[in-house]
Amino acid sequence: MSRGVLVDTTLCTGCRGCQVACKQQNKLPPEETTFFAKAGGYQNPADLSARTYSLVTFNEVENKNGHFDWVFARRQCMHCEEPSCVSACLVGALSKTESGAVVYDETKCIGCRYCLLSCPFGVPSFEWEKTVPFVRKCTFCFTRQAGGDAPATVNGKALDSEQRARHKETQTKPACTKACHTGALMFGEREELLVEARNRIRKNPKRYVNHIYGEKEAGGTSWLYLAGVSFKKLGFPMHLGERSFPSYAKAAKDGVPHVMLGVGAMLGGFYWYNQRCAEVAKKGE
Amino acid sequence: MKLDRRKFLLATGVTGASAFLKDLFGVDIDPSEAYAQEHDSRRGKITSTICPFCGVGCGMLVTNIGGKIVNVEGDPDHPINQGAVCSKGAAMYQISNNPRRLDKVLYRKPGATEWEEKEWDWAIPRIAANIKRTRDAGFIRKDSRGRTVNRTENIACMGGAALDNEECYTYSKLCRAMGVVYLEHQARI
Amino acid sequence: MAASFGRGAMTNHWNDIANSDCIMVIGSNAAENHPISFKYVTRAQQNGAKLISVDPRYTRTSSVSDIYAPLRSGTDIAFIGAMINYALANDLIQREYVITHTNASFLVDSKFKLEDGLFGEVKDGAYTKDTWKFQKGANGVIRKDTTLKNPNCVYQLLKKHFARYDFESASEITGTPVGDLKKVAKTFVGMSHRPEKSGTIMYAMGTTQHTHGTQNIRSYVILQLLMGNIGVAGGGINALRGESNVQGSTDHCILFHIIPGYLKCPTAGNTSLQAYLDKWTPKTKDAKSANWWGNYPKYITSLLKAFWGENAGKSNDFAYDYLPKRDANYSHMALFDAMGRGVIKGMITLGQNPAVGGPSAGQERDALGNLDWLVAVDLWETETAAFWKRPGTNPADINTEVFLLPAAGSMEKEGSVTNSGRWGQWRYRAKPAPGDAKSDLWMLDRIARELKKLYAQGGVFPDPIVNLAWNYGDGDEPDPHLVAKEINGYFTKDCTVKGKSFKKGQLIPSFAYLLDDGGTSSGNWLYCASYTEKGNMMARRTRSNLKDDPIGLNQDWAWCWPVNRRIIYNRASCDAKGVPWAPNKPVIAYDRVAGKWRGDVPDGGWPPLLKPDGTQDPKAKYSFIMRAEGHACLFAPSLKDGPLPEHYEPLESPVANFMSEQQNNPVIKIWRPEEIGDSKEYPVVATTYRVTEHWQAGAMTRNLPWLAELVPDAFVEMSCEFAAEKGIENGDRVAVKTPRATIELYAVVTPRFKPFELKGKTVHQVGLIWHFGYQGIAKGESANMLTPMVGDANTMIPEFKAFLCDVRKIGKGGVA
Repeated sequence: MSRGVLVDTTLCTGCRGCQVACKQQNKLPPEETTFFAKAGGYQNPADLSARTYSLVTFNEVENKNGHFDWVFARRQCMHCEEPSCVSACLVGALSKTESGAVVYDETKCIGCRYCLLSCPFGVPSFEWEKTVPFVRKCTFCFTRQAGGDAPATVNGKALDSEQRARHKETQTKPACTKACHTGALMFGEREELLVEARNRIRKNPKRYVNHIYGEKEAGGTSWLYLAGVSFKKLGFPMHLGERSFPSYAKAAKDGVPHVMLGVGAMLGGFYWYNQRCAEVAKKGE
Repeated sequence: MKLDRRKFLLATGVTGASAFLKDLFGVDIDPSEAYAQEHDSRRGKITSTICPFCGVGCGMLVTNIGGKIVNVEGDPDHPINQGAVCSKGAAMYQISNNPRRLDKVLYRKPGATEWEEKEWDWAIPRIAANIKRTRDAGFIRKDSRGRTVNRTENIACMGGAALDNEECYTYSKLCRAMGVVYLEHQARI
Repeated sequence: MAASFGRGAMTNHWNDIANSDCIMVIGSNAAENHPISFKYVTRAQQNGAKLISVDPRYTRTSSVSDIYAPLRSGTDIAFIGAMINYALANDLIQREYVITHTNASFLVDSKFKLEDGLFGEVKDGAYTKDTWKFQKGANGVIRKDTTLKNPNCVYQLLKKHFARYDFESASEITGTPVGDLKKVAKTFVGMSHRPEKSGTIMYAMGTTQHTHGTQNIRSYVILQLLMGNIGVAGGGINALRGESNVQGSTDHCILFHIIPGYLKCPTAGNTSLQAYLDKWTPKTKDAKSANWWGNYPKYITSLLKAFWGENAGKSNDFAYDYLPKRDANYSHMALFDAMGRGVIKGMITLGQNPAVGGPSAGQERDALGNLDWLVAVDLWETETAAFWKRPGTNPADINTEVFLLPAAGSMEKEGSVTNSGRWGQWRYRAKPAPGDAKSDLWMLDRIARELKKLYAQGGVFPDPIVNLAWNYGDGDEPDPHLVAKEINGYFTKDCTVKGKSFKKGQLIPSFAYLLDDGGTSSGNWLYCASYTEKGNMMARRTRSNLKDDPIGLNQDWAWCWPVNRRIIYNRASCDAKGVPWAPNKPVIAYDRVAGKWRGDVPDGGWPPLLKPDGTQDPKAKYSFIMRAEGHACLFAPSLKDGPLPEHYEPLESPVANFMSEQQNNPVIKIWRPEEIGDSKEYPVVATTYRVTEHWQAGAMTRNLPWLAELVPDAFVEMSCEFAAEKGIENGDRVAVKTPRATIELYAVVTPRFKPFELKGKTVHQVGLIWHFGYQGIAKGESANMLTPMVGDANTMIPEFKAFLCDVRKIGKGGVA
């Protein structure tokens, strides 16, 4: 079973508990900022980076009912079903686990950065300022998911069974989803989250646009989104199609199975294609 | 892909945390050790606290390992936040691990341009002597109409909304004993 | 609220918001400043509740609301007045509740009236209050008309008073489009006047920080009482506290006018304990009124025993003389005024930073230079501690001796804090404080002991210090448990109270057992029951589940004042026979078989007013036990500025008062009239506010790198329309000017602000974030440099939320 997160942007109050909880979990250093990264509210920093694995975006937009709305969305690794970064990696430093997380083994990484180029969401970041740099991105709190037994005691007192169950449940969630108080971030099995998302749209068609972002984009992602406005207005890439990026490369890979570099180059090509589409899309606006 | 334990740990970015711990605490620990310390909470001492920021009163759990606070996150048992946090609560870790925290008594002589570091044994008697000198100089036993008022109008005391109740109470009590009437705190502003 | 209900605190609690059917957030921005409250707001919405956001600016609260209505800062009374008028004119009130639990039926002095915006004669800056009283019968009991038809009854007076606040008139004042105002009224009133439904109001500093702040709250009180929303689950008027323990610090009365437990600070005229009690103990001749404050003698005597122990006895009037007597107002602005005049020579501040947080902060910074000595206690080097080296000053010119004492953080000490919902919660120590840092309790203990030593050798009136009971252990660290126990209180002799026997030294089970003869001590009667022989009640950690506790009272989690009552005034959640108005979410209900109340701890255990057959129960008491007359006050004669809320403009306003000739609250004190701006020179309305990412005066968040990253500098928000007029773009540097100061900060240009139309005049409003100062990682100019020194007529809370300014562009930002 593959896990995911359903992000319901209509429930988000933009408190950014998730963004700082991510920093706390990963003990990430701060970014230098001077003002807000862009118009539309209080977003900071401007982009994901080796210091910022997740980011709340602020968007002043018109909603589907024609009313002004202030919408908070979220960026982090989408943990694709068929990740192009995994395919692009020449040395197998990136892998998609059964539980859904796309994880990174820095002992294998050679620093080629094809993963950066291939990602349709522009997620992985490189530690440019370090002498021995690595790639950084959201880990889906894989360690929390794997570990996280309830503590034996709190304040020196043993927990009862109800408390233990509660601790185990919350401590195995990704830190951001645990932090969220309104339910805007819902952690669970991807298939169940899709059912939940469809139910929400069906029950409340006025509230949502009829689109679960991530259900099909780039072949599907572990992170899924609901919104009351078009995802385009929230800055989501809209040109990705429904096929996973590696599937385009599959033919080439099958033909010349040992020429890994070729596959990398192919996916590098997708980076170009990706950027190109984005530019075209921008011009069209 | 099959991961052995060490690779698994490395893959998930624990090495970053280990390097961080090294930077911060000067402790060089093996990544797997770091994993165990960070995530096998049975090894840490966990205490509950209440977030020091707004008045919602969310519960937080603090993990202490080796005398250092290594993790602060929402308390799943707490009926209000049930493990959740906002951006301020999530940043509590940096209240404890912060080079900007004051850790010495600082003293500034009249007219001086810099602080100097002092010891408590020097500061407390000097503060008490200041209080006594000022109080004794301005204490009012009776008002103009001859009524007993027993107050001092030349000392002001402020603050308290960030203190514990036990501190607020003793502060309120001590100020009244000193005769302080200019007694105010954040509730009014 | 104290003038209306008897207590000033949040009536309900955070989890209870989930029980609401309609939530109006006005005068607060809870999604940003009390973020986790939205766990319960969201839950209520998912159960079908509507969320209404009323704010000058479209906020993060507005972003998830069902209805957003803009209003100009400082016009709440007109806004709520229109809602009240809508309810009264259409008879959409919970009539039976109103008759049973409020003073709607009370007959007011027949000469009472509002004329030219005044409720009678003003003399020397104060109302004479001649007519602000109820008619009394020969037996001394207030005359009532429960048919509500008498033209002098409160209900009829309300109807007449608020008839002037029709939607159109209100809209001209508030700038709220009439359609939005109607929508809010119809939604809130339509839903919550029904007995089985409840509506709640969440407010904070946006309500109180006005020259008519208390009357803003009064308007909420009247609306909520007419709706039958007080005392019920999902109802109430919820004052959202902004600091982790500002409820506790207020309960312990670190304020000039009250002493722990909201007892009055004695005034010079209260020349003996008896005189004090005669003055402040409320009296009633109505046998049905519990008049809980009639227990005043027990509470003050027990407090004096806690303060001075063995040295407080009958022979010395329980050391009453030791308490300082006031006869002036010593509130925040008066304090800094006195400091500016050189009256105050020394100051101690524990974790407060007035150089950022005070009104007209520049003058407060200057005033600090008049001190001989300053003791600042904090975790950080705050603006206040470092005032002598602030930008633009020469330290050599400042002769203040400054001690900056390093304080322990909340995780580095043990003790309790009281949240907004009145829950006292215990915190544990996770680790010792860094270096030489110590808890405030340690410092207070050291200073107290040193003073006792000094005064033992002589000094002016040494008695209250030398005789002060100060017994918090002999170790290096004072024991917070000993303090908590002292706050709760002990029996000071063997005695029998209410049929139960107690030994000297035993902890008191609850304030019902306190005595007025010195047999008990209690540092704060409100906290009596928080630490008993059963243990530290504030440290309890049992969370309830929805099955057993459907309305989320969580009675076994921590402890709640008073006596673990989670929803105060809860007797009003039932009709006169003790049956809950909302059977699907009862707070309490009277169990006729057992002869007692079930559910939450009731506001007194007396039976309901009526027996099942409809006859009066002679043992019954009215529901609002903290008011001498036993009823909640729709008409509140105890305030300084009127028994009913009337719209006045903020002191600095862009328009004339459209309601009357009386421009401002007639009984406010203006400290510096020469510094009040007029709308010709300063045409723009300004307000101040907070954001999620920072906290108060900022030291606790501007020193945390993760939060400094999110909001790195001060800014002013303005509408696109206003920015276009001034040629300002998002990210530009702008200057904001008032008669007090000019500051420079970033402009945030946003469609979330819109210009207001007031009787055809376009008025712009801007909003400034006030957390910033010249210390910390994230530095920026302080909005409070701009705010005026004028306050509410009752509370002296400064008018931070509505003043006039001018804005001009000074530089290109070069940011998106």
